[in-house]
Amino acid sequence: MADFNQLRAIEDDEDEFNEDESISERLIGLTEMFPETVRKVCSYTGSFLGTATKTGIWLVRNALWIASSSAVILVMPVVFESERAQQQEEHLQQQRQILLGPNAAVSGSSSGNLLPGMNMVPPPPMSQRP
Amino acid sequence: MGNVSAAESTKSHVDLPSPPLPLPPHAPETTRSLPKGASQLTGSTDVQVVNPGLYEDLHKQTKELFPQVFEGAKVIVAKGLSSHFQISHTIMLSTFTPSVYRFGTTYIGTKQISPTEVFPVLLGDIDSSGNMNANIIHAITDRLRGKLVAQFQPNKCLGHQLSMDYKGDDYTASLTVGNVDPIYLSGLLVGHYLQRITSSLALGAEIMYQRGQQIPGGEIAIMSLAGRWSGNKWQLSANLSPMAGNLHTCFYQRVHEYLQVGVELETSIRMAESTATVAYQIDIPKADVTFRGQLDSNWCIGAVLEKKLAPFPFTLSLSGYANHVKSQYRFGIGMIIG
Repeated sequence: MADFNQLRAIEDDEDEFNEDESISERLIGLTEMFPETVRKVCSYTGSFLGTATKTGIWLVRNALWIASSSAVILVMPVVFESERAQQQEEHLQQQRQILLGPNAAVSGSSSGNLLPGMNMVPPPPMSQRP
Repeated sequence: MGNVSAAESTKSHVDLPSPPLPLPPHAPETTRSLPKGASQLTGSTDVQVVNPGLYEDLHKQTKELFPQVFEGAKVIVAKGLSSHFQISHTIMLSTFTPSVYRFGTTYIGTKQISPTEVFPVLLGDIDSSGNMNANIIHAITDRLRGKLVAQFQPNKCLGHQLSMDYKGDDYTASLTVGNVDPIYLSGLLVGHYLQRITSSLALGAEIMYQRGQQIPGGEIAIMSLAGRWSGNKWQLSANLSPMAGNLHTCFYQRVHEYLQVGVELETSIRMAESTATVAYQIDIPKADVTFRGQLDSNWCIGAVLEKKLAPFPFTLSLSGYANHVKSQYRFGIGMIIG
């Protein structure tokens, strides 16, 4: 019986060191040193941050895609056309300036189409088309 | 066209015996060059200034801001053979709708009501597969207008409707009869009334009565109310049908000399859906460009750019449409010659 007890003691000693636990289980066991609330708060905060980052990235990505593709369809052609018209006006104004002298260029063309408020006098009816 | 919207409002619970009749596709281009409705003239006679216009044109000012998006290529050659007669050839090439060649004619008669309105107007349109649309618009007297619309397919008549509008001093009343079938005693009867209350407010009502075999119970009558409130540069119009649970509201505003904005809200309680659309129109007269764009609450956007190529009577139109939810993008290019 004494042998049996000795054997059991040895086995118990061995058992203390060769426990069937993996490293992660041992690390998780370490967390038991923190109180319950601290553990919970950290866990929630961590998962919340992870979800928020993923959602944030998804949102920014989609918003950027939608905004840029909508801008290509809705905004780009108008900007192109108005810039082009403005350029043509400036070109004509330059030509007039060259032909007739600097004074003739002052009257007439308004710069830009969407904000013509500055120029109250309507431009003279120059035939710009043949 | 009010009948079209009325007929569509019943679609949710009813199968119409025949589909609503759209105007022939080239009609918008020709009717824009044709004289506008009397209410848009200013001050030629007292009748025309106070008259609130047709019930169908309730939302017209806002609806005109919406782009007509199309897909594929579209070429329209319009030619005037004389001052009374025009013809147009249209070719539409597209992947999602079958490609067609369409031939259309317009005849404008000799009875002149006012400097810009001439009657009768006959519009006809025929397809390469035999689908035909026909419109006759005539002013029977100074105040009474009649309109007959019919749509045919190669072997049968899809639908027809006859409408009469009476323009009083400050009211408009109209009656429309459609798809009358004497054998099955089915048909559609719509009555409109629009009255100007003050110089900025007009109220009206519509009664629609339909009889047919597909309708549960054999017949149905729906009443709806309409109102339009206009200001100096804005207009608010609404169409409410408590029985059918529909609301259609439009708001129009001229923000700037070159920018017009409109908002439309369509709600149907029966179908449990509601759509809001914002549309705008930008005119760049120096470049002869008109740009119309729209933005939907279903995450759809559409735009049409029309540019007149100056020395020639050509109009180039580019159309783009995107549905972000389904990730579908459709583009079209069109050329109108003449």
